[in-house]
Amino acid sequence: MTSNYAIKAEDLGVRYDLRFNRKTTVRTSVSNFVLRRPPPRFWALRHVTFELSHGESLAVIGPNGAGKSTLLQVLAGIMRPSEGTVDVRGNVSGLLGLGVGFDNELSGVENVLLGGAFLGLDDAQVQQLLPSIVAFADLGDFIDAPLKTYSSGMRARLGFAIATAVDPDILLLDEVLATGDANFRAKSKARVLELVKGAKGVVLVTHDMEWVSEYCNRAMLLEKGRVVLEGNPEEVVQLHMERTAAAAAAAQAEALAKGLDPAALAGARGEGGGRRRR
Amino acid sequence: MSSGDAAATIRQSPGGSSSLTLLRQGISEILSRRRLIRYLVQADMKKRGTDTILGNLWWILDPLLQLVVYVIFVSIIAQRPAHDYPLFIFATIVPWKWFSAVITDATTSVVGAERLIRQIAFPKLVLPLSVATAGVVGFLWSLVPLAGLMLLHLDRVSIMLVWFPVIAFVQFVFTVAAAVFVSAANVFFRDLGNALGHVLRLWWFLSPGLYSLDNLESLKYVQDHPIIADVFRLNPFAVLFEAYRAVIYGVPDGPQPSAHPPDLIALGVLLLASVVLLGLCITFFKRVEPEFAKVL
Repeated sequence: MTSNYAIKAEDLGVRYDLRFNRKTTVRTSVSNFVLRRPPPRFWALRHVTFELSHGESLAVIGPNGAGKSTLLQVLAGIMRPSEGTVDVRGNVSGLLGLGVGFDNELSGVENVLLGGAFLGLDDAQVQQLLPSIVAFADLGDFIDAPLKTYSSGMRARLGFAIATAVDPDILLLDEVLATGDANFRAKSKARVLELVKGAKGVVLVTHDMEWVSEYCNRAMLLEKGRVVLEGNPEEVVQLHMERTAAAAAAAQAEALAKGLDPAALAGARGEGGGRRRR
Repeated sequence: MSSGDAAATIRQSPGGSSSLTLLRQGISEILSRRRLIRYLVQADMKKRGTDTILGNLWWILDPLLQLVVYVIFVSIIAQRPAHDYPLFIFATIVPWKWFSAVITDATTSVVGAERLIRQIAFPKLVLPLSVATAGVVGFLWSLVPLAGLMLLHLDRVSIMLVWFPVIAFVQFVFTVAAAVFVSAANVFFRDLGNALGHVLRLWWFLSPGLYSLDNLESLKYVQDHPIIADVFRLNPFAVLFEAYRAVIYGVPDGPQPSAHPPDLIALGVLLLASVVLLGLCITFFKRVEPEFAKVL
């Protein structure tokens, strides 16, 4: 069955129109319009094509600002692609970013209820899932305390518990496996593996190369929004390591050439990684 | 992270849907996420209740304090304010507080949820809608001091009060439309929040809240230029305030209390215009919604 895919992305591209950003004011946009300044644009992701079958877990790796999070946001339906198509089949659940939580003033349980409502689950479903979520998050008495009293690890545990409890067809994880204590990490890894075994699709962004080569059956290396290599995790991790080392060496050489001017160093780094991330 | 629909979810590139499709989507989103709106309203109530010492009592105190300010202010400036002046202006202060509070909160409703918007996919329309719904709860609270004041003027209370919910409903539709619009617009122009405070204040003083349209028309300058009165009547809050005052206070500035029905034609026209405006604002919101995650 060739069409039995969970995710299919074709020539996917996401363009940021920097004409509007959080600093936009009426004044600047009027002056841009009057001066006919072209809107600055930036491709966070371009020409990304891949297919993910059920039962596969794909690791997306790459340096900061490579477009990894943007890719997950598109797959989650948070962002609409500017070009290309993406086809996601089945229920998507995701944990994008750390420090998830819906309302700081509400307790853990109330956040589960609110989270369920945000995800569009009906009330009976959430009530039914509640005990297992509470058990998995394993927060003790904190489950009834306001979310603002939680540590970042505890937030991640609660978020992970909610995201995986809905038994998704496709799970999206963004650098969440690195948080929590060793105990919870083991537990969450086991849960992800369970989902993979249950013929679910998993896409995860991580900097934990060990996890990539050990548990993922595919990997994708992104750099500056383009796919560098996609395939066997070992090979992809290998290439990523080499390129990271090369980039570090190049940056160092450049810094040396400029006489270790700290301003130049900061400028060189600002080129790629300057974009604000979550 | 949208669950619920088990069927395949297919998304395509810069999908330009027709306005009618967007409007239909928006309305079905609001209806299907009523529970989420309820949760958000409850969370909002809880926060208001815990952040301040007097908690939800502020819903009652706020309009009362404002009443005191205006009564003192107008008694000093105008030599002869209307009869039973506190009731005369309280009939409009209470509805105005409802509107201005909702618009102020709605402005930051989408921007304030930026973390959520970048983490999960959900219909963003629930954000201004929950603010507007929470506003209704606040409005109901502020009816307590209004009822208290009316008890002091029992001779002015009449059967015309049955029109009150109708007038409030018209205001609600208009308020929702405005809330949906400002919540989306503020994402793209953050200085809207700064301007809005002044716009609201100006709007209040240009609406017949502290005075009636009759007061305005008796001014010599307005009598010489009747166009001014006509322009004033185009203001939605001129229609609403005159209607509220008609049923709560009675004939403006009359010594003999005589409540009378509101101008139903004007209210009907305003309702119709508000419904159309609401449709336009929801369509606008849905059109710019895909950009929220990128801009925030």
